[in-house]
Amino acid sequence: MIEIKNVSLWYDKFQALYDVTTTIKKNQTVVTCGPSGCGKSSLLRCINGLERFQQGEIIVDGKSVQDPKTNISELRADIGMVFQHFELYPHMTALRNLTLAPTLVRKKSKEEAEAAALKLLERVGIREQADKYPGEMSGGQQQRVAIGRALATEPKVMLFDEPTSALDPEMIKEVLDVMIHLAKEGMTMIVVTHEMGFAREVANEIIFMDEGRIIERGTDESFFKNPKSERTKDFLSKILI
Amino acid sequence: MDWGVISRNIYFLLGGLGLTFQLAIISIAGGLLLGIIVGLARTSSIRWINYPATVYVNFFRSLPLILVIFWFYFLMPFIMGRPLGDFLSAIIAFIVFESSYFAEIVRAGIGSIRKEQVFAGYSTGLNYYKTMRHVVIPQALRNMVPSLVTQCVIIFQDTSLAYVIGLKEFLRRTALVDAAQFRSIELYSFAAVVYLVFCFAGSLASRRLEKRGRQMGR
Repeated sequence: MIEIKNVSLWYDKFQALYDVTTTIKKNQTVVTCGPSGCGKSSLLRCINGLERFQQGEIIVDGKSVQDPKTNISELRADIGMVFQHFELYPHMTALRNLTLAPTLVRKKSKEEAEAAALKLLERVGIREQADKYPGEMSGGQQQRVAIGRALATEPKVMLFDEPTSALDPEMIKEVLDVMIHLAKEGMTMIVVTHEMGFAREVANEIIFMDEGRIIERGTDESFFKNPKSERTKDFLSKILI
Repeated sequence: MDWGVISRNIYFLLGGLGLTFQLAIISIAGGLLLGIIVGLARTSSIRWINYPATVYVNFFRSLPLILVIFWFYFLMPFIMGRPLGDFLSAIIAFIVFESSYFAEIVRAGIGSIRKEQVFAGYSTGLNYYKTMRHVVIPQALRNMVPSLVTQCVIIFQDTSLAYVIGLKEFLRRTALVDAAQFRSIELYSFAAVVYLVFCFAGSLASRRLEKRGRQMGR
């Protein structure tokens, strides 16, 4: 589903990604973790073309992300993204947040888009908030609306960029529950997170990154029980108290 | 004191006020439209879009308005091959001049919207135009309202400078009546009150809009 081949990324002179190569298969949930600044968020943004990398190639659903012949807007509609700080549109209701892209990109009618959006809000458990503005909702509710918005274009892949790290502790679970549900339904997902409980429950594989490189990749059992590299051991010992 | 001079010439004076409003409204509409385009160009990361816009803005913001009005008055016939008349050349001068100020307001407004909002729009498949149109500009506009209204008030006052090319707007007509009837204090006091009323109403509207924008924001 996603093929990442020898991707290197520079911000001016600083190199953020070094020759990253990996594959994510269909229906898999892959958790990516690593210390801050290790390049995990940059890698996510490369996958949907929000960041331009200078070397390598990324292929999503058979289409090369940086190929000028690829219609990047259409490809992005096939790739849902959830942000750390939600990034809902503050001037629109929850419902409008969900219907904007379906009407503008997928060319659905307003009625069709609204019916689908209400179903999605039901799925993430906040249908009653449909007419509220983001500013009137809690962080957990906002992030669930944001997941709904990402799902509204019926994407084939979902990218999560630290979806729970800006949330108060009591709201983390409601967001993780939605994500666990999604993973169990067979959505292809890449999740940047330090929620190792989530990783244990649904991740097929875990990628550990440090200083712009993939250090280790393994199924959850091998990854947690006998990590191969010292750096992974060191990192795990810090986050698994 | 003879305040009767005002009522005796009221139609002549109000006619001038009408022209002042025409000038102001057309300049605001045209200046804002051009200003949005130039302002967006200023936020572009593509150099050949960004550079000309930056030169344009800095150039016109460095010149006194009166010079620009004169300049277009003498320049336009040279470019067009025929005189455009004082009203049209004043309009062009105002639109070009004020758009450089509007452009800076637009640029600051767009700069006030976080880059992640643009990413959010892009990530759902919206292209640049749709993201700007539906996500960035509506939010930016709300932040810009106070500065935009202030600029409109300034333009309303600036129109009086059109007298230098002989345009008979409100202040020019006040001066003409004065020249014939020597009632300077009465006439200019009246003119001051008229400008004050409209500009103060503008400031009030701005403050109210600002308050409403804040309530809607969060």
